[in-house]
Amino acid sequence: MQKVKSASATITRRTLVAGAAAGAAALAAGPAEAQRCPPAAPRVKGPPVFRDLDQVDIDEGYDNDVYAFNARNVGERRVYNNRIAQSRLAKPDRFRYGPSEIEHLNVHRTARPKAPVLIFIQGGSWRGGARAQQFATYAEPYVKAGANFVIVDFADVRKTGGDIAPLVDQCRRAVAWTYRNAAAFGGDPERLYLISRSSGSHVASCVLITEWEKQGLPRNILKGAVLGSGMYDLAPVRLSKRSSFVTFTDAMVQELSAIRHVDRIHTPVVIGVGAHETPEFQRQAREFAAALKAAGKPVELIVAPGYNHYETGETIGHPYAVLGRAAMDMMNLNRG
Amino acid sequence: MKSASHMLTCRALVAGTAAGTVALAAGDASAQRCPAVPPPRTKGPAIWLSYDQHDMDEMYDQSVYAFNQKHTLARSAANNKIAAATIGKSERFAYGPTPIEGVDVWKTKKPNAPVLIYIHGGSWRSGRSFDFALYAEPYINAGAHFVAIDFTNVRDTKGDLFPLVDQCRRAVGFVYRNAARFGGDPERLYLCSRSSGSHLAGCVVTTDWDKMGLPRTILKGAVLGSGMYDLKPVRMSARSKFVAFTDAMEHELSAQRHIDRLHTPLVLCIGTLETPEFQRQSREFADKVRAAGKPVELVVGQHYNHFEVGDTIGHPYQLMGRELIKMMKLSMAA
Repeated sequence: MQKVKSASATITRRTLVAGAAAGAAALAAGPAEAQRCPPAAPRVKGPPVFRDLDQVDIDEGYDNDVYAFNARNVGERRVYNNRIAQSRLAKPDRFRYGPSEIEHLNVHRTARPKAPVLIFIQGGSWRGGARAQQFATYAEPYVKAGANFVIVDFADVRKTGGDIAPLVDQCRRAVAWTYRNAAAFGGDPERLYLISRSSGSHVASCVLITEWEKQGLPRNILKGAVLGSGMYDLAPVRLSKRSSFVTFTDAMVQELSAIRHVDRIHTPVVIGVGAHETPEFQRQAREFAAALKAAGKPVELIVAPGYNHYETGETIGHPYAVLGRAAMDMMNLNRG
Repeated sequence: MKSASHMLTCRALVAGTAAGTVALAAGDASAQRCPAVPPPRTKGPAIWLSYDQHDMDEMYDQSVYAFNQKHTLARSAANNKIAAATIGKSERFAYGPTPIEGVDVWKTKKPNAPVLIYIHGGSWRSGRSFDFALYAEPYINAGAHFVAIDFTNVRDTKGDLFPLVDQCRRAVGFVYRNAARFGGDPERLYLCSRSSGSHLAGCVVTTDWDKMGLPRTILKGAVLGSGMYDLKPVRMSARSKFVAFTDAMEHELSAQRHIDRLHTPLVLCIGTLETPEFQRQSREFADKVRAAGKPVELVVGQHYNHFEVGDTIGHPYQLMGRELIKMMKLSMAA
C-alpha cells in the first residue's frame, strides 16, 4: 500500500513540475487539468502574482468548479445518498457547544460502548454554515464500524463580516466540548479523531495548531486527523477571488496558516488530495506534508489517482477508498 | 424514494425524446458529456425509437456520456492495488479446459458463508478477474466469499458472444459443485455484474439449468448494474464492429426474451447520468420481469454515470454495494 501511495505522489509531482516548466499548454495535458470541461483556452499569461502564477491561474487555482466539471453532480449525489443514510440511521443527538444558536453539533452514536469519536468539519468555502444534518452519509460507515460520528455546525463566513477566526474558534470549542462530554454519549475522550475536507480542512488544520494547554486540555487531545483537499497557507488564497468574500488581514494569514505553526501540532496527520484537484490545492497538500515531515512530525500524504476535489471528499463515506479508508485504518476499526 | 427517482428520470427522458437531440443534451443523462451540448447537426432517419445512427452509436458508447471514464478507471486500478495488497492473493480454480476458464476466489473467514460471484464488464472485450480485489474486500470482511469469473473476450472469439455466456454458466455450475471446497455454502450463491457483464449475467440467470443437471434456483439473488437485456438495438450500434451479431445470437442472448427461464430474484441498478438507451434497457427488463410476476426491483441511482454505478460494487453504503449487502443479509456491524 505504501508503495502505491508514494508512486502516485511521485507521478503527480513530476507531471506538475513538467507542466510548470513548459507553461499552460503542457499543464493542460496533466492530470490537474483533466477534468476541466471545456479545456482551458490558450491565453497570454499576465504578470505573476504568486510564484509563477498570474491572476487567472490563482483565481482558477482556488475555484474547484473550474477543475471539476461534475461538481454539481457530486453535490447532488451526496444529497441523494444522505437521504438514504438518514433513513437507515437513528436520529442524531444534537448538543449545544457554545452560546450562539449556530454552536451545535450532531452526534451519531455507535452501538459499541466507550467507542472512539470521529469529529467532522465540513467544507463549502467557509460558507457552508449550519447543515450538520446533510452529512449522515459520512456518518453511517463509522457508526456501523464502531465509532461515534460528530458533525460540527459553525458560522458561515458571510455572517462574520468575512472573518474566518470565529469559525476556527467555534471548531476548537466543539473539540473541547467533545473531549469533556464524550463519556456522556458513550464516547471515549481519549480516542478523539478529526476528519475534514476542503475549507473544512483549513479550519481543521487550525484546530490542530491550537494551544490546548492554555485551556487546560491535553496537547494530544486529538489522536489523529485525516485532512482532505485543504489549504494550509492563506497567503496565495488571499490573492485569489476568495478575497471577495473573506476579509483577509495580515494577522489572519499569519495566525490561521497552519503551515506556519507546525511546531504546535501533536497529532499524527494524514493529508489526502486528488490527482485531478487544482494545481494549487495539490501544492498546498504537498507543502504542508513536507513541512510536517521536516519538523519530524508523523504525517502521510495520499495523492489519489483519478479523483477530483469533490470526488476526494465523497470518499469520507467510503470505508474502502482514500479518506474513508485512511480514517478506518487510523481508528483501527473493523469494517464488517 | 426509489420510485420517485425513477419517475424523475422517465420524465427527463421523455422530454428529451419529444424535443429531439437538443433537449436530450440538456437532460440529466447528458450532464456528464463534455461539451455538455454537442455541436448542432442534421439528424438522419430514425432507426430505433426516435434515434438516428449517430444517436445509436453514442447511446452504446459510454465515453460520450461519461467524461470522466478514464479517471474512474485510473481510480479503480489504484484502489485495486491497495485492496490486493490488503487482502492478499486469491485462490484460482479451473472451471474448464482452457487457461482463461478459471475463477479467482477471495475467501471470507466465516465458515459456510454465502458466495458472491462477479461477472466483469468491459464491452465484452476487456477485463480480468485479478482486477477486482477492490470489489472483493468489502464482502470478505462482511462475511461472504467473492468469486471473480475469468472468461474469454470477443476479440478472441471472432465476435461471438456465445462462448462468453457458456463459460459464465459453467463457472456458476462449478462454484455450486465446489463451494464446499473453499468453505462456501452452495445453497447461498449470489450474482453481481456491471455493464456488458450484466448482459452476460442476464443470460446466466435465464439459463436452462435443468439441462445441466443443476437446480433452477441455483442463484438465490442477483444485482445487475447498467446492463443490456435486449441485443436488438445494440446490434444497430457501432458495437456491431466488434460483435458479429446474428439473428440466433440476438434471440438466444437477449435475456428479456427468456423470462420464463428466470428463477432468481433480481435487483437492476442504473444511474441517471447513464445513456438514455442504457437506462431504457434496465427499465424495460424490470417491467417485463414484473409483468411475468417474478421478483424484481429497479434501483435508479441519482447522479451516477455508467462507471460510477459500477464503482459502487465496492462501496457497502452506496447503490449496488448496499443492495448486495442487503440481499445476502450481511452485517456491517463491528
